[in-house]
Amino acid sequence: MRIVITGMGAVSSLGYDVESFVKGIHSGEVAFRPIQQIPEIDQLRVKIAAEVPDYDETERFTKKELALYDRFTQFQLLSAREAIADAGLEFTGSLVNQSLSERTGVVMGSAIGGQTTQERNYKRLYHDKAKRLPPLTVPKLIPNAASSHVTMEFGIKGPSFTIASACASSAHSMAQSCMMLRSGLIDVAVTGGSEACITFGTVKGWEALRVTSNTTCRPFSKDRTGMILGEGSGTIILETLEHAQERGAKIYAEVLGFGMSADAGNIVQPSSDGAARAMKAALKDAQLKPEDIQYINAHGTGTPQNDPSETAAIRDVFGSHADKLAVSSTKSMHGHALGAAAALETIAVVSALQHQSAPPTMNFTEADPKCDLDYVPNKARPMAIDIALNNSFAFGGLNAVVVFKRWQD
Amino acid sequence: MSEEIQSTPQKKVLEILVNYLGEDVDANKLTLEAKLEDLGIDSMDVVEIIFDLEETFDIDVPNPGDVEGGTVKFDSVQDLINIVKNLIDNK
Repeated sequence: MRIVITGMGAVSSLGYDVESFVKGIHSGEVAFRPIQQIPEIDQLRVKIAAEVPDYDETERFTKKELALYDRFTQFQLLSAREAIADAGLEFTGSLVNQSLSERTGVVMGSAIGGQTTQERNYKRLYHDKAKRLPPLTVPKLIPNAASSHVTMEFGIKGPSFTIASACASSAHSMAQSCMMLRSGLIDVAVTGGSEACITFGTVKGWEALRVTSNTTCRPFSKDRTGMILGEGSGTIILETLEHAQERGAKIYAEVLGFGMSADAGNIVQPSSDGAARAMKAALKDAQLKPEDIQYINAHGTGTPQNDPSETAAIRDVFGSHADKLAVSSTKSMHGHALGAAAALETIAVVSALQHQSAPPTMNFTEADPKCDLDYVPNKARPMAIDIALNNSFAFGGLNAVVVFKRWQD
Repeated sequence: MSEEIQSTPQKKVLEILVNYLGEDVDANKLTLEAKLEDLGIDSMDVVEIIFDLEETFDIDVPNPGDVEGGTVKFDSVQDLINIVKNLIDNK
């Protein structure tokens, strides 16, 4: 069973659509800015993030909708609208559309769900001593709210749910979607993820872990000081090749396979063994040899811990071919959008295959002996890319890797 | 614990370290020069110890990467004591 990508949507610190995201990552636009949405910014040590720029929810949703949609649901709806329109899919109206609606699933990822709602409302309760909470508090903050509202807005009636595996959530959601497509359970998957984690409590929590930088994100560079939190959403339309061709859909890329693993190690320290097993499983699933890969969109968080561990894992899997790979981290531009990261980075990989250009690792200043691969420093590189990987390695040691192939009609 | 390291806040820092390490620590190993790594303290342990120091002394310890010139480091017992002393002095 062959699976292809027929639609994409993005909301990120680089802008409100796929075009601005792709243009941004290939031109090396570093979209980190002082945090806008936390009034208590004076109490933060880390004061910058990759926020969706100038976001005003009241311009995009009605008052009634905003009573229901947490910021992460809003982002998910915006990217899903773009992706579904891009794919030319409709799930209501004709009998054919209605039949497709039951053969379509919505499988999204989110690391923490409706954090904005949770914090605002619990502040009212604990701090302001409010006697009651808004009645839609619970349905607004549940992590599956984003998936659910996508099903409701578009009338999608097949198997749908949300996957939470921290920074790998949307990679696992894509892997799960592929399994459902392969099994014949569905013909179309609306997948990806969303995150709106730039809240006072969450940023303080990341601060305490001492893995976020308050300057910039320099993946694989010797002077890296940590990650920059991001937010946003990516939606990917996956479809069986047969279904896509039958309806004459335009095809962006093929998904050749995926691999997943658990470190069974430490809740925060990554294991190169676990990462390597996920990459090996992905190559095996896609029936590929290491030499078949040209580009890897790395997990590349820019923390002291991840980058050497991921480098060692790539060396383990690819052997001498590792020196021929282009490996870059686009998190150096759009930040680490946690549960939306893999969905956004899938769009980065697809754009690399389409434009035959590896996006850069920005802010790279100095090689680290522990990170000795070709990280495409600071400038996109035109190159032949036929097959590429996207790596996602989550807190909790849960790893997922997806393999993509260039599509040529 | 050797006698050279008994003054406050040094004493308090060492208490926190001893408390964190539990009974597994070899008292002879706990010197000012001792590297945290050699005491079996990994980077996540350091994060938790710094949290204890911040709470105990009501200070905010910056990250090494946040400070120009690399003056902040968390490598040895002495590093932790220096950080705490500097931050208390500059309060």
